[in-house]
Amino acid sequence: MNESLISPFNITHPTTVQTSLFALASFARFDPTGRYVATARVDGTAAIWDLDTRAAVRVLDGHVKAVSNLDWSRHSRYVLTASKDWNVVVWDLASSCVPAQRCATLRFDAPVVSAAFHPRNSHIILALMSTGEAYLIDQRKAHRARIELCEQQEESDDEGAGSSTRTRSAITVARFDPSGKHIFMGTSGGYILVFNTRTKTMVARHKITGAGAIKGLEFTKTGRQLVSNSADRTLRQFTVPMYPSPTTDGAYIEQELEPTHRFNDPINRTAWHAMSYSPDGEWLAGGAADTATHKIYIWDISNEGQFANALDGGREPLLHLHWHPFKSSIASTTNQGNILIWHCPHPERWGAFAGGFEELDENVEYEEREDEFDIEDEADMIRRKMKEEEEEVDIDTIPEAAKPRDVQLHGVQAGDEDVAWADEEPDDDVQDWKMRVIMEEDWDI
Amino acid sequence: MSVEMDVDSDHVAPAPTEGNPTPETDVSMPEALPTPEPPIIPEKATGPQYKIRYSLSGHTMSISSLKFSPDGSKLASSGADKIIKLWDTYTGNVLRTLVGHTEGISDIAWSNDGEHLASASDDKTIRIWDMKVGTEIKTLLGHTNFVFCVNYNPNSNLLVSGGFDETVRVWDVARAKSLKVLPAHSDPVTSVSFNHDGTLIVSCAMDGLIRIWDADSGQCLKTLVDDDNPICSHVKFSPNSKFVLASTQDSTIRLWNYQTSRCVKTYSGHTNRTYCLFACFKGKYVVSGSEDAKVYIWDLQTRQVLQVLEGHRDVVLAVATHPTKDIIASASMEKDLTIRLWYDSSGGLSM
Repeated sequence: MNESLISPFNITHPTTVQTSLFALASFARFDPTGRYVATARVDGTAAIWDLDTRAAVRVLDGHVKAVSNLDWSRHSRYVLTASKDWNVVVWDLASSCVPAQRCATLRFDAPVVSAAFHPRNSHIILALMSTGEAYLIDQRKAHRARIELCEQQEESDDEGAGSSTRTRSAITVARFDPSGKHIFMGTSGGYILVFNTRTKTMVARHKITGAGAIKGLEFTKTGRQLVSNSADRTLRQFTVPMYPSPTTDGAYIEQELEPTHRFNDPINRTAWHAMSYSPDGEWLAGGAADTATHKIYIWDISNEGQFANALDGGREPLLHLHWHPFKSSIASTTNQGNILIWHCPHPERWGAFAGGFEELDENVEYEEREDEFDIEDEADMIRRKMKEEEEEVDIDTIPEAAKPRDVQLHGVQAGDEDVAWADEEPDDDVQDWKMRVIMEEDWDI
Repeated sequence: MSVEMDVDSDHVAPAPTEGNPTPETDVSMPEALPTPEPPIIPEKATGPQYKIRYSLSGHTMSISSLKFSPDGSKLASSGADKIIKLWDTYTGNVLRTLVGHTEGISDIAWSNDGEHLASASDDKTIRIWDMKVGTEIKTLLGHTNFVFCVNYNPNSNLLVSGGFDETVRVWDVARAKSLKVLPAHSDPVTSVSFNHDGTLIVSCAMDGLIRIWDADSGQCLKTLVDDDNPICSHVKFSPNSKFVLASTQDSTIRLWNYQTSRCVKTYSGHTNRTYCLFACFKGKYVVSGSEDAKVYIWDLQTRQVLQVLEGHRDVVLAVATHPTKDIIASASMEKDLTIRLWYDSSGGLSM
């Protein structure tokens, strides 16, 4: 809502550190409403920070080893934490107990490196083990299952001898696409595998030439673009193809994906710890895996992927970064556990303090209107004012621009089968849900 | 001096004023006849037909503020007698009396879940009350003079307050900590509130200025000022935050389009020269108290007075409108000390 009064002629990527949260975190993620960040800590706890008050408002204490990853449900009511203690815990932030209460615990037989909620239903969870296996867990009554997502081996049908020697490559990263229709997984062999979430079958396998092991995958908000981080220290952006509905015979697309852009640091050849798109997909931020500095590289996607800026966040090396869901703001985590919140400062407009004044960039030749200093008849003036006020005003309708924007997700049509499947047995994570404010003395962080 | 202090807590300008404008006739009116007979009879059948339902007594000094709880089931009132009372909207019973402030209270505000109430007092503190238990749970210290107005943001994790120290302060509610101090005005701040999504703050003061602030950065984004610079006594955003409704002590309420800095509607007919009177939206109406001991209801679009609620015997400082039903609450000063609940009998046509 305040955007309408703030000057629009601003750079739309963050440029300076606004605030630093002392969180002892290894990881920080904004929630979908942009009001909170969730931080994961090495001691096995996680915390929810309120960005308005810049204070921790909830502590999630449920792991005995470091939290490796966390995710927010669609409307921020649920948080999941994945940990090296082989567990994934789902937390309900609607419970006002301190510390917060867990609402589900999923146990695995290996350390969990990452886990994510399905974008449409928090009962569906994707989890990746450090051993390179990925599981899709469905906790809905009608679909209750835990299924391992396995790469199909085309050689298995062949009678040739070569098939048995080829080992299945480990999965190194697993993500839902923003619509939740597909699961994208990177492998240590430099492939991106695409699975249909509903049928759990592989629909495509993409070879990424020259990439080496895939270390990370990130989508734009619409899901149209995908960026990969890989062992060759290069970020590659791809346009996500349209995948047909899975067929019963298990056929899949075998296709090499050609990147539309490649991003790397040509001088230092630094690797990347994390990357994140701006909400409009016009910028890409890359967090450099530099051991001495805290550097964020910004590329201008709308302008041929040109390098735009390198943000310097001081001496504490960067571990992770995440772009705010709709603002020009980034949360980056340092190896000391501090979270830097970057923003794009608006220059103070002193003219705003004086009513009726307008700041001009340059001198303007003033032209006096013919009747400017004519004395208007008072009755006429009142009549004119009354006439002006006849116009109807609308005090109730909230302008579209101020509402949370619904993005058109890539590859989703009306009446989509996969979407309908995910919406079965919906969770109680409703849009206007609000986290209760807990007064401080009731608890201690 | 003590008398003046009490007067201050009642939304009163500290400057000497031109006498009590309350008409004598109203004082002599017997309280047993609460039948409002509007002098301007609404021509349209769709006009509001509010009639008195309850007259609530309990305060011993001027009532300064009235607020309905977010679900509308309760009404909170505060007064110069240092107490907050909680009433049942539908029965008129008093549910609770909160005692704790050491000076008169000027304003109160509910949190979004109705569990907490914040009160602003002349004892320079803001107190937060647990409304389930009825106890004080926090005291916000920082203002260096009377606190005059207070409001929650939509998420109720922040409070904004203004006072006679001429500052606007933003507070972390859970930690009772001041987050921002805005040197907002050059005279006592009379009203301050957030917009519907909590990104903007509007404040107004006795310097006659209405300022709009970015809630996150604390930067001033806009200043609205009327030509004659009358003391501005109350301001609030419209439900969609596109306009602000401002009451000024030239007996006028204006609806401003703050984008264009233009006044789009002017409501007049009531009397407001001395006190800081509340004004509210109610569906397609605007409601305000008046110094002639009446409550005025205007049509939002045509700016005509549709109904005048008579019955109070002193200045009507505070009015509040029910969040969902056609109910108006009004409260009056020293000579009356009643809160009146008015119900619309025409059957939910105001929404």
